[in-house]
Amino acid sequence: MDQTVELLMVFKQELEQCGSLQQLQDLRVKYLGKVGEVTNLLKGIKDLPADVRPVFGAKINSLRSELETLLADKSSTLKAKEMQLRLQNEQTDISLNSVADWGALHPITLIENKICEIMVSMGFEVLSGPEIETDYYNFKALNIPEDHPARDMQDTFYITDNILLRTQTSAMQARLMEKKKPPIKMICPGKVFRSDNDASHSPVFHQIEGLVVDKHITLCDLKGTLEYIASQLFDSKTKVRFRPSFFPFTEPSVEVDLTCSNCGGKGCSLCKGTGWIEVLGAGMVNPFVLDNCGIDSAKYNGFAFGMGVERLAMIKYGIPDIRLFYENDQRFIKQFGK
Amino acid sequence: MKVPLSWLKEFVQIDEDIETLCKKMVDIGLEIEEVCYLGDNVTNVKVCQITDIKQHPNADRLLCCKVDVGGEIIPIVTNDHNVKVGNKVPVALHNAHLANGLHITKGKMRGEESYGMFCGAEELGITDDWYPVGNNEGVLILSDSAVVGDDIRKEVGLDDYVLDVAVTANRQDCNSVLGLAREVAVALGKRCKQPDIDFAENSVATSDLVDVEIAAPDICKGYYMQGLTDVVVERSPRWLTSRLAKVGLHGINSLVDITNYVLFEIGQPMHAFDYADITDKKIIVRRAFDGEKITPLDGKEYTLNNDDLVIADNNRAVGLAGIMGGANSGIKTQTKCVLFESATFARRNIRLTGHRLGLRSDSSARFEKGIETYTNNLGLSRALHLAQQLGCGKVTAGRICNGKVEQSKQIEFSQKRITDLLGITIPENRIVSILQSLNIDTVINEGIVKCTVPPYRDDISRDCDIIEELIRVYGYDNIKGTLMEKSRITCGGKTENDKRCDKLKTILTGLRYNECVFYPFGGKSLFDKASLTPVDESKYIRIKNPIGEELSLMNLSLLPNMLQCVALNTARGNKNLRLFEMGKAYIADSLPLRDLPYEQPRLSVCATDVSFDEFRNCVLQTVHSVADGIKLARSSQQILHPGIAADIFADGVCVGYFGKLHPQIAVNFDIESECYIAEIYLDLLFGKARGEIKYKPFSKYPSVARDFAFLCDEQVAAQDILDEFLQLPLVESAALFDEYRSEQLGVGKKSLAISVVFCDSTKTLQDGDIEKQSGKALKSVAEKYGAVLR
Repeated sequence: MDQTVELLMVFKQELEQCGSLQQLQDLRVKYLGKVGEVTNLLKGIKDLPADVRPVFGAKINSLRSELETLLADKSSTLKAKEMQLRLQNEQTDISLNSVADWGALHPITLIENKICEIMVSMGFEVLSGPEIETDYYNFKALNIPEDHPARDMQDTFYITDNILLRTQTSAMQARLMEKKKPPIKMICPGKVFRSDNDASHSPVFHQIEGLVVDKHITLCDLKGTLEYIASQLFDSKTKVRFRPSFFPFTEPSVEVDLTCSNCGGKGCSLCKGTGWIEVLGAGMVNPFVLDNCGIDSAKYNGFAFGMGVERLAMIKYGIPDIRLFYENDQRFIKQFGK
Repeated sequence: MKVPLSWLKEFVQIDEDIETLCKKMVDIGLEIEEVCYLGDNVTNVKVCQITDIKQHPNADRLLCCKVDVGGEIIPIVTNDHNVKVGNKVPVALHNAHLANGLHITKGKMRGEESYGMFCGAEELGITDDWYPVGNNEGVLILSDSAVVGDDIRKEVGLDDYVLDVAVTANRQDCNSVLGLAREVAVALGKRCKQPDIDFAENSVATSDLVDVEIAAPDICKGYYMQGLTDVVVERSPRWLTSRLAKVGLHGINSLVDITNYVLFEIGQPMHAFDYADITDKKIIVRRAFDGEKITPLDGKEYTLNNDDLVIADNNRAVGLAGIMGGANSGIKTQTKCVLFESATFARRNIRLTGHRLGLRSDSSARFEKGIETYTNNLGLSRALHLAQQLGCGKVTAGRICNGKVEQSKQIEFSQKRITDLLGITIPENRIVSILQSLNIDTVINEGIVKCTVPPYRDDISRDCDIIEELIRVYGYDNIKGTLMEKSRITCGGKTENDKRCDKLKTILTGLRYNECVFYPFGGKSLFDKASLTPVDESKYIRIKNPIGEELSLMNLSLLPNMLQCVALNTARGNKNLRLFEMGKAYIADSLPLRDLPYEQPRLSVCATDVSFDEFRNCVLQTVHSVADGIKLARSSQQILHPGIAADIFADGVCVGYFGKLHPQIAVNFDIESECYIAEIYLDLLFGKARGEIKYKPFSKYPSVARDFAFLCDEQVAAQDILDEFLQLPLVESAALFDEYRSEQLGVGKKSLAISVVFCDSTKTLQDGDIEKQSGKALKSVAEKYGAVLR
């Protein structure tokens, strides 16, 4: 038999036995290496007659290229097999679905952030004032003189006769208006203090004060602004209702109700069947306050509102008890980290 | 303010059902806190007439009656023997509920059918003030005029509502039946009747009986007196006592009842003195002497001081002004001559005295809300009218008047102002009709609104007050939302420091820390727990009137409240705590406070079940997000473990500290897990905030890392060794990657392994370059710190 045919046959048998890329490489060296079978075969060419040599040489070359092709094919097959084996072996249990938690912002901060975002988009500055405040800014500048009945509305913590823990973020109104002239659009979030401590009151709570002073500001603007806040904080269908009320630093003064976010106004236990939830107090800035801060009340109007942050958070997130906010059980806070 | 519906109806015709009435009251600003139907506890009880009474066949003490309940005759068995045939009595029928909680069902009593039970006054929840109850024993015998078959509630006055109205602080004029009636009339579009105040005077002149001197005009703005002679003190009629009963008062005698009636109806506190007890015909309204004693009608003795106001004669105090009359001058059955007092005392003064003495009354409660001199006259006239009507005596001639009578206020403003403020236009005829309905006389002429405000409306003083009156009656539902279309555009936003706070919060939550909010105050016991030695209370800003000692001192650090929270969480089994708070420390220049203190913004961070390295990384990442040039040094903060405590410096300024909680303090708080804490002074940190980020070119050539291991003394700070490398020009970074101690190394020795990255922006570094560079560092590390290469 022709030597090349014989070699090819043997090669094919050995190729068949090859189970890995390493064995394939060994096979390649055995046949096509520097001292491999094919090379050895080629060495015999010098013993052949001159006229046969070219034919023999061509045969060897064609054998070489056939072996190369077979090796390459086998290599592809083995690689594919190895990939498959690797994929089979590389398995992991993906069933565990507990989520690594983020830290959470406190719900009071979440509401404050949301309100700030809404108000900043409307051109409001976000400012903060001192928590330990003078009687003047907390009361007198807001048209609440010493023996005014409105002082009874707020049980005040005093440090001295004239220094107290602010009972309302409204204390920031006069501070700002003394420094800045209209147009003014400001909100002031922060802690306020009243000496109440029971299931529904906390001696410390948070308010956000809003103040706008400019020419041509009307009660309709107050309503429109609150409607926008309500639509952004709750949903676009939320309605705003005004009821008459009294605050010494606004005139007219209103209590502001929103359609209950729980039942959409149909009436439920949250809104005690009324379909409305009282969320804040507001009104047109009392001219006394403007004049007192050196802003001409004949030229300028303004509106102001003050909302309780805990109350909004309780409504928005369904938190049942104000004391949860200050207990800071990590399981409470974590719920808001999503 | 509690008001019976029936009393309101004295002044206003009310045809609306109770729900409509309440809604309309709410709409104009009278918040209804509670609506109470007085007959709620008495259901299915009717007026019946007894037609037959027989002895019970099987029980000596029971009677078998037949009663007519309006067309039907039913059997009732009773053990009350005060009933007679022909009596009209209340009968509780099957399924009736009674005021004392009884539930009645029909059944058999000792074999005899009984369809219900006769009721006494107690079972109906009424007293002699409501209905003549006789000796109040056994079955209530009703008057002959009672209609058989009627609901008993109609007969005894229980068919009535009491509204509890929340009156806003500016509307003290509404703290009376009359005041509320005026508002209800406006809400319903009806007229409000005036109370009857006419009376005839006798020949005795009031001024011959008494002379009044106001010695403290600053706290007594008005004082009126008029009296009665030929006084007869009796029981008041039931129409009067039943009204008082509905607002919670018992009938006492006609004169005292009249003063109470006027208090509720007109809103004017009144007092009646027995004239026989006033010596020298003299009434002096004066400040009490320091140490002066008085025994008011409650029978207790109180010691007064110069801040208190008394009503006195020439010898002694006969009343504590506005709060309670003196026991020495009260009305007695034998009283023959009476002086009525109707006055205005300063609300603050009444409040302070009442508060200090712990003595309050319906009168003082009303004075504390504010009384106008307008009602002094009205109240006094009403009392005299009632006294005459009830036959209590003859009215003395003339009135002693001290104090100025308030004039009606005139307010003028442009009609345009209404639209400017409200944003809507109210038709002119509506403006006039609304204001007239409020008794504000109004004329509009050429765009000018002229108003005359009734004297009882102390709260109305300028145009915006009038406009509020307009819109609350016109209806707030007419206000349509707009978005400040005519105002100027403003630039909004947060302050830079607020934005930095937001950034820190974002980073901390990303590091899995949860935000807390605490009260910014605490008590000595808490602060002591968070300290190795008791804290000096005098350094804290103290609340004068705290809720309790534990909430009385303003924070000087955020950590005590944080640790208390860690204690609470660990006690509840919460592990892996990651907490932070942004709050304030309240730092006074001097105490007691003269100026406002500095409120220093601070950040506290706390973690349990964490390694020091992990916590340090978190603190440094947080601080470094704001400022550069962060360095650490050993800290001596008492709250920290002395060996694991670092002060944080930013650009040379100490901006906070962190470390392991001192084990003693951990014990104080019962915190058993490893606990690390940090407190950052945000104002100081933000003071070192980096400016805008500027691009720095970086090398195109590869960087090369080299590791070095040193043997050195325990005291050598790894950062010092790193710094020696970091100051080399070609060093990009240097970091510690291993630290260990062993017996072979020797006691007090440690091994530090560091990795240094070299890079040159002009070429690929060769080994020679690196050796030259590191050689310098190795030399100075050996010289300065005795650290040798291993």
